[in-house]
Amino acid sequence: MKWLLVLLVACNVDRGPHWRPRDASTLRFSTHQQVSTLDPTIAYDEVSVWIAHSLYDTLVDYAPGSTELVPRLAERWEISPDGRRYHFWLRPGIAYADGRPIVAADFETSFQRTLARPDSPFQQYLAGVDHVAIVGDRELEITLKHPDATFLYVLGMPFTTPLRADHAGDLRRDPLASGPYMLDSWDEGQRVVLRKNPHYFDPSRTRVERLEMLENVPRDTQFLMFEKGELDAAENLAAADYLWVIEQPAWQPYVHSAPQMNAFGIRMNVREKPFDDRRVRQALNYALDKQHTVKLLNGAAVASHGVLPPGMFGRDDTLKPYPHDPAKARALLAEAGYPHGFEIDYVTISDEEGETTAASIQADLAEVGVRVHITPMSLSAYVSAVSRPDGPAFSIASWVADYPDPSNFLDPRFHSRAIGSTNDSYYANPELDAVLDAAHAEADPARRAAMYHRAERILYDDAPWVWNYHREMTEVDQPYVRGYVPHPVWGRDYTSTWLEAPR
Amino acid sequence: MRAVRRFMANRGALVGAALVLLLVVLSVLPHGDPLAPHIDRGLSAMGAPLPPSGDAFLGTDHLGRDVWARICAGATTSLELATLSTLLALALGLSVGLTAGYAGGWVDSALMRLVDLVLAFPFLLLAILLAALLREADLAGGSAPVVLTIGICGWTSMARVIRGKSLSLARSEHVLAARALGASPLRIVVRHVLPNIAGIVIVVTALGFAQNLLAESVLSYLGLGPPPPAPTWGRMLYEGRAYYRTAPWLSIAPGVAVLTAVVAFNLLGDALRDLLDPKGPRR
Repeated sequence: MKWLLVLLVACNVDRGPHWRPRDASTLRFSTHQQVSTLDPTIAYDEVSVWIAHSLYDTLVDYAPGSTELVPRLAERWEISPDGRRYHFWLRPGIAYADGRPIVAADFETSFQRTLARPDSPFQQYLAGVDHVAIVGDRELEITLKHPDATFLYVLGMPFTTPLRADHAGDLRRDPLASGPYMLDSWDEGQRVVLRKNPHYFDPSRTRVERLEMLENVPRDTQFLMFEKGELDAAENLAAADYLWVIEQPAWQPYVHSAPQMNAFGIRMNVREKPFDDRRVRQALNYALDKQHTVKLLNGAAVASHGVLPPGMFGRDDTLKPYPHDPAKARALLAEAGYPHGFEIDYVTISDEEGETTAASIQADLAEVGVRVHITPMSLSAYVSAVSRPDGPAFSIASWVADYPDPSNFLDPRFHSRAIGSTNDSYYANPELDAVLDAAHAEADPARRAAMYHRAERILYDDAPWVWNYHREMTEVDQPYVRGYVPHPVWGRDYTSTWLEAPR
Repeated sequence: MRAVRRFMANRGALVGAALVLLLVVLSVLPHGDPLAPHIDRGLSAMGAPLPPSGDAFLGTDHLGRDVWARICAGATTSLELATLSTLLALALGLSVGLTAGYAGGWVDSALMRLVDLVLAFPFLLLAILLAALLREADLAGGSAPVVLTIGICGWTSMARVIRGKSLSLARSEHVLAARALGASPLRIVVRHVLPNIAGIVIVVTALGFAQNLLAESVLSYLGLGPPPPAPTWGRMLYEGRAYYRTAPWLSIAPGVAVLTAVVAFNLLGDALRDLLDPKGPRR
């Protein structure tokens, strides 16, 4: 019995925070995904875009911890009164990692590369560009076909980074860095190591010499490594680990959750029975207890009434999430001709969050007579299943925006133009299309916001999704990670971070 | 009456029988809904499982469901699946064992090589393969793949024991007499061989039952059991493992349940062997 106790105690050694960095010049973290490419024209998955953002600078960028646009490679810009011409003056002294200067023509090169590469997912963002005029080495003017209130955000996406036409290497593995960091090494599927770009114009943005990202590390492994001091930061913690760390007084000051630009819910194929009836869709919205979902996600989420997350421009904050009202849900189902509910397959992604929310959806819908069978799928199987028109009609849905504007949520998910690609609800509503198109061109922010309020209202009532929640990023850092501010667009942002033992 | 007295005198038998009875009672007794999250009280404000309390005496799980209700419902699942798969294994084992034992010769050799073949496969590999195939074949209905998997993996040891016993019986004098009187092979097997191996069949069945119960938990733990939200002990163990620090009851409760059930049937099987073995010591 005594040795058993010893064993139990031994298993439960309290591994508290590490106070001193092992190596103050390297910041180590991990991802459960894997980097697919370093080519900015192609990179579109979460981690690849993150790496691209560290390697490649753009004309404009976001201020630390906010969605406010600030000049980056551009020194300043002017927009013509008709909203069609964007004139940029480049910052003096900007250079690539090999020391050669960045010139205005390099931006046009990168635009052309995007348009010439059929495998680039970004061509749609350049569809509105009429032409680019280069004025010497340090000025360029981009002319649009129509005014577009979101174009500056597009110029903050890494694919618009300057690229030199004579770069011989394959950008997938041999990037031409213009950002704060350059590639040190990439052991594909294992780790990406970035190091300080010596020719970067603003050394204050690279206080850490090297960034080391381990790939394909499952979440629970990530946390074990973090506790052993092998990682300096851990993010998107598994529920059990998050609950553990948040309860430990020693860890508490170093745990945070930060809002992100995303939306989670259940998508329904509105062309298929029973979801072709709006009352059914509303009924399911009433049946789902969003507050319980938020609780299941350990409070690191916000219940939603639509796809626009809190704080987003154009979000109608007077709308409240559908209340949890099983009686009303049953009444609506009966009205729609399903007094005894129905049976339905629900496809979810087989990770912790996907399975946890599926279980709660199953329990909530059972209460109103809808019998849900859960089919978990891997992410890749899910993506290919859902993109087929004859694919599952009822499945988990999520959207992570590329830039902080309502058009980047509403247009791809619900504009009839996006049916067949990102609008997998097959939702088509001419009224909504008209509102979204008008809002896209509108320059006056107040009028634009009012239009998006209208769009939110339409979607709220029509309910092509069962709106569920906006997820926050949970994170824990070692105490010596200093000056870190999570970013609403980029997530991790280590440009203001340094490693030093706290006093 | 003597058998009952001898049974009562065997402590292992008593404990085993009591535990089995307890499991059966648990599985049929009314308990809370194993699927219903206690929406208002099943989770802490942070969404953590609640520790054992008067409300939920084994605590709640990560979805706020009552662990006690799930343990009870899991007993039903486990007993049901173990019974069905044991019956399947018994049917296969009996027919193959009796055929091989009675027929002998090349039939015996062929059937026993088949048994060797199945036995040569590591149980888990075979089970995972079968479970995946059966699931793919959409034989769904929830637990059918599990029953088939365990049944198909578990009949071999039964077949061996039964074959050995019936092999010697087939050459015994009363069987020879029956054959001389013109009885058909079927009649001989059913009327003269089977009754004589009933004891060993019962013992093998009880022991096999314990093994199948464990196998069911293993498959559920690996995610090859009845699909969620069906409450199974194996799945509860799997889901609870991440919470070993914040909510250890999520692992302890189903662990103890599996342990108890397996020990119970093993004790019972051992006791039955002692009782039914005519050559064993008479106490």
